[in-house]
Amino acid sequence: MTRAVRISLPLAAAFAILLWLVAATTQLPLADWPALPFRPDAMSIEQILMAFGTMPRGVMALLAGALLGLSGAILQVVLRNPVADPTTLGISSGAQLALVLATVFAPGILDYGRWPIALAGAGGAAALVLAVGAKRAFAPVTMVIAGLLIGMTASAIATAITLAQGEYLLSLVIWNGGSLVQQSWGGPRALTLTLIAGAIAATLLARPLRVLSLGAEGASGLGLNVTLVRLTAVAVAVFLAAAVSAEIGLIAFVGLAGPALARTLGVRGIKELLILAPLIGALILSICDGIVLTIAGQSGEMFPTGAMTGLLGGPLLLWLLPRLRGSTPPGTEAAEGPARRRNHPKTLILSLLAALIIAALVLVWIGRVPGGWAVLDAESFAAFLPMRLPRLVAAAAAGAALALAGAILQRLTANPLASPEVLGVSGGASLGYAATVFIVAAPTAVTLTTGTMIGGVVSLALITLFVSRRDMPPERVLLAGIAVSALASSVLSAIMAIGDARAWAILDWLSGSSRTVSLTGASALAATAAILWIAALSMHRWLAVLPLGHGVAGGIGLPIRLSRTLLIALAGMATGAATVLVGPLSFVGLMAPHMARRLGLARPRDQLTGAALIGAALMLTADFGARMAGFPYELPLGLFASLIGAPWLIWLMMRPNR
Amino acid sequence: MSDTLFQIDGLCVDVPGRRLLDGVSLNLPAGQMIALIGHNGSGKSTLLKVLARQIAATHGRVTFEGHALTDWKARDYARRLAFLPQHPPPAEGMIVSELVALGRYPWHGALGRFGAEDHQAVASAMTECAIDRFADQLVDTMSGGERQRAWLAMMVAQQAGTLLLDEPISALDIAHQVEVLALVRRMCHEQGRSAVIVLHEVNMSARFCDHVVALKGGKLIMQGSPDELMRSDTLQRIYGLPMDVLTRPDGRPVAIPA
Repeated sequence: MTRAVRISLPLAAAFAILLWLVAATTQLPLADWPALPFRPDAMSIEQILMAFGTMPRGVMALLAGALLGLSGAILQVVLRNPVADPTTLGISSGAQLALVLATVFAPGILDYGRWPIALAGAGGAAALVLAVGAKRAFAPVTMVIAGLLIGMTASAIATAITLAQGEYLLSLVIWNGGSLVQQSWGGPRALTLTLIAGAIAATLLARPLRVLSLGAEGASGLGLNVTLVRLTAVAVAVFLAAAVSAEIGLIAFVGLAGPALARTLGVRGIKELLILAPLIGALILSICDGIVLTIAGQSGEMFPTGAMTGLLGGPLLLWLLPRLRGSTPPGTEAAEGPARRRNHPKTLILSLLAALIIAALVLVWIGRVPGGWAVLDAESFAAFLPMRLPRLVAAAAAGAALALAGAILQRLTANPLASPEVLGVSGGASLGYAATVFIVAAPTAVTLTTGTMIGGVVSLALITLFVSRRDMPPERVLLAGIAVSALASSVLSAIMAIGDARAWAILDWLSGSSRTVSLTGASALAATAAILWIAALSMHRWLAVLPLGHGVAGGIGLPIRLSRTLLIALAGMATGAATVLVGPLSFVGLMAPHMARRLGLARPRDQLTGAALIGAALMLTADFGARMAGFPYELPLGLFASLIGAPWLIWLMMRPNR
Repeated sequence: MSDTLFQIDGLCVDVPGRRLLDGVSLNLPAGQMIALIGHNGSGKSTLLKVLARQIAATHGRVTFEGHALTDWKARDYARRLAFLPQHPPPAEGMIVSELVALGRYPWHGALGRFGAEDHQAVASAMTECAIDRFADQLVDTMSGGERQRAWLAMMVAQQAGTLLLDEPISALDIAHQVEVLALVRRMCHEQGRSAVIVLHEVNMSARFCDHVVALKGGKLIMQGSPDELMRSDTLQRIYGLPMDVLTRPDGRPVAIPA
């Protein structure tokens, strides 16, 4: 135990207890506190609230924090990944989606308890992320990106379902945000048993995990059954996280912060980490909950503590990033195998363009009517055109803008998994949208677009500012983006928890739709996309050099800081503009540049143009699907695009490396 | 002796908790092939990166062709000096002629036209490095030696008078090591370029270079001709290991650990 630990832990514990006591005594003076054993029939309402609400809540915060801290510590050790935790690996979101699905579609299952369902969801998400990781030698950043994408998809689906069910599911939204409100001692009892089981498992796993920290080759050389240890450890971690999800919902980043703070306090050994991380996790969640209780008081009873931990977690991740140096084992965050290269890309680009135009025409022409499909005759074509054209133009322009942003970011960071979603641009853009909705009394489309673009650019600027302070490798840029995304999503869920009409407007927009767009709005978006395309083309030389890294780029006199800043601003604006229409999640910015490259467009100019065309086509398809699949109801556009994108992405990541 | 290329005065480079270069002062002559040698962690790569302006000096002053490093504009510097990092990155989807053409960036910039002069420079660079026949091949599919020549051609296309190379031969087999160093030597002696090369191999340094600079623990420990280097007491001071210097039948010295 280092000195830092001996001093800071008791201080934090005292602070946590103090916070809880302040909140509890405000609620009920100490003299009136119920005596043990609790007998509800002899107690006043206030005493019952204290004995079965506030008291178990305080214990719950400690237990859940400890479980998450332990889960995060195990995951970080077994994956040798300093940023692994149930949130970043998508495990918590998987549990959340499973619970939402069960609540909405098969409430009967819930009679058997929430645990099996949460466990199934968490296990499913973990299995997917591990399957991706196994193909990439568990490269830390790749795994976190995969986990985040899977987590974001799960959350998007859960949000859409919540939205479709209307307001009576508000409790689900609050649960999604991680509320610690308790009505009995049942939860603490269950989590105590889980923690004991977890502690035993961690004790048994400590030594194998230490051997495994040498790496898979080294460990199997020492006679360790690597696969068995990995699977067991991950299963334990998933179980611990799922238990927390089942009891109190999604608590972000405690599993990350616990072990990370333990390390900054000077903890080196795995055994110490497995002991201290849960302790620190318990204190973090306890303090967060104490703050929520003290500040929000009785009125804030429904304010989810999970949103609070997210608010702390985002900045924490940003602060940790520079300190991760050296703790990430060397290993390339490799791309998929070599793609072919076309020597005469013009033909391909022209045929893509032709296909896009034909697709747009066909989509105007055919549509679903009550009772079947219909091809419009000339007369109704004229009637339908003003209704269908704006949304088609808008969808295509948004798709193109996202694809451009993705292509720029992928080249800038030399990471094939970079995309507006992962870089936090979308998160920032949604915050901008939410802020506009709340600040401006009756926002117009132009105000909203401006607000969203400002949000996107500000979040990108934050990341750039942070990144340019140090000689930051590209994968760190991605992690900074993830931190911003996390921050944005927790602010959003805090806003949701307020639950007034404006919150519903935001929730509606979050899943994306093109139905309200006007022709002026659509043309403006198309013009923006065209300007961004030309601007990106004019920077093609930078885009060719930057993937080669600092050394080469600096060596031939490239203005590194200037080029990065300009390109990032461009990507931010493109994302912001598109996000107004599609919502924050679509995967088009990730898919389109990949597809362009797979089709053999290798030069920056060709890839940019090809990606923009493909992105436009993808978004048109998504728009068509969103309108037709649930006719006469309309599915959210962004959600439909993610439903196409996510499986493709997972397939891409699971392909063998070379 | 000819003109001074770099004038280094009291150069220190610090990273948190460690001093990588500690008060290095020396002049590097122009028009020669200069080897930077030393054991791992001696600071030789750090020195090269300072000269390439990849990292900044903490203290001290470095001038290149009479002007302080900090006074040079990025593109002007790149027109006078070309740098190759230790591990050239994968050039995904790029063909050789495109890679070589990147060397023209300091001349045409982000928006300038890629003119006849640029095409001419690229073509002659590829001829000089004997990679004409690979012009349309993907860089990542070439062998290590060919790829290294492609990167060298990029530096040649830059038309800089000075080349800085960070361990250019450490990933190559012995035949390609000789080939690459012979190419750099030709560039220096036949076209009046200067080169500063970080090398591990002491015998290669002695055979190909005109001037040797040795560092140890971030300090300058010796500089001089290859003959001055190839003495067992000097080598022991540099590497901290007893070395024997043998004489080959043709009279050249060879160093091996004793």
